[in-house]
Amino acid sequence: MSPRLEQAEIIMKNYYDIVGDGGSGVLEQVTARDAEIARRLAGVRHRVAIGSGKGGVGKSTLTMLLARTLRRQGARVAILDADLNGPSQARLAGLQDAPLVPVDGGFAMPRNHEGIGVISIGTMLPESQALKFDSVAGGSSHHWRSTREFSAMASLLAAVEWGPLDYLFIDLPPGAERTVQYAEFFGSDTAFVLVTIPSDLARGVVARSVAALGEMPNPVLGYVENMQGYYCADCGTVKPLFAGRENVDLGLPCLGSVPFDPRLAAACDAGESLTEDPSHPSVAAVQAIAAALCGRLETRP
Amino acid sequence: MKFLCVPCDTPMKLAKAAPPERGSLTVEYECPECFHTMAMLTNPMETQMVTSLGVKIGPGGGGTMAAGSAAPNLSAGSASAAGDATSADSGESGEGSGCPFSGMVDEMAAGQTGSGGLAWTPAAEKRLQNIPSFVRTMARKGIDKYAREKGLTQVDDSLLDEAKQCFGM
Repeated sequence: MSPRLEQAEIIMKNYYDIVGDGGSGVLEQVTARDAEIARRLAGVRHRVAIGSGKGGVGKSTLTMLLARTLRRQGARVAILDADLNGPSQARLAGLQDAPLVPVDGGFAMPRNHEGIGVISIGTMLPESQALKFDSVAGGSSHHWRSTREFSAMASLLAAVEWGPLDYLFIDLPPGAERTVQYAEFFGSDTAFVLVTIPSDLARGVVARSVAALGEMPNPVLGYVENMQGYYCADCGTVKPLFAGRENVDLGLPCLGSVPFDPRLAAACDAGESLTEDPSHPSVAAVQAIAAALCGRLETRP
Repeated sequence: MKFLCVPCDTPMKLAKAAPPERGSLTVEYECPECFHTMAMLTNPMETQMVTSLGVKIGPGGGGTMAAGSAAPNLSAGSASAAGDATSADSGESGEGSGCPFSGMVDEMAAGQTGSGGLAWTPAAEKRLQNIPSFVRTMARKGIDKYAREKGLTQVDDSLLDEAKQCFGM
């Protein structure tokens, strides 16, 4: 080692000795955006992420059903569709053709005929097109795609006029690791509800999300068992749909169970609500879950 | 990332940033003590990683980010949709702002042909800049479609306000 370099090593500042970053401002910009997100979301009373870890268990449908139920009770409700690659909420809300309308400082949140606000890539991109980000580093999206998606999500959050809301539901994408990433992204104030179906295969995956969220400070309010039986409209009874023995204990309170109803699925496809009749098993089930959810939100520390 | 002038033990300052060329950025730093300069040359992967954070790099860029200003440039995955993007970053990017990353966004958009979109008044165009750049193209298309359905050939403030009302915003 040269004497000059040796001397330099003795006197050299380290990273933390230097204030600022010489002008690139990368960290400051990320911090500023986080502050803008916090400002935008200041009027939201409860943030509830609906996740699972497993795909295809009905997270998005349940998210919309809960939003509808609470909206009918007079609550101010919005949904953020955090599944950028498989967005469902635009269709569920009947807002696939809603344009983004620029306003001062951002853009307005589309609302469906029920008054539920929805931010979803599905209103921005037709279903015939996949979400794609331009890149200067060809063939390496596996390295940067996740970072870019969270950046995109942050940009959306910071640009939307959320306004005062009682509930902001966040419809999460599948993946236990994604569930935790969103817990970090949205912060410890965001509560989680996990969705499963009555099969050990699904519950096993959801159990991984429970374990992963256990490392986080976010409250996990409980889980919902979706497709818990098949509702036969002809005979008016709920019949078994899965033969699961439910050997996997999730270690969470069950907020309720929702039977599978083909008519409900068809209504969701059409962006409509099936019925408001509380005697309908699906409606009654979601109402009970909404009540349990609100109770837990109000009583959490 | 910070740069230190080793002989002076002085933090170097960002002096100049050039628009990216083939995915590589050139960012020059200068020592305020001895005026020694050095250049950081990124490879496309490094450029991409920083771009993915949705930030600007350039003199005066620190802490001044508008919502989504240098955020990823979203486009549709199909070949037909790739030609629908427009370059509308006039207010915040390119050489004028000395921001190579947003310059890159422009560069990407410039490679795509226009969609025969409607004319936007300057005021409406200004409002459009409030939308994160990565969904701006889609926002423009959505409003254009709304205007066409009404038989209009121009987008102005009043149409945007009407669309806002129409969708319960």
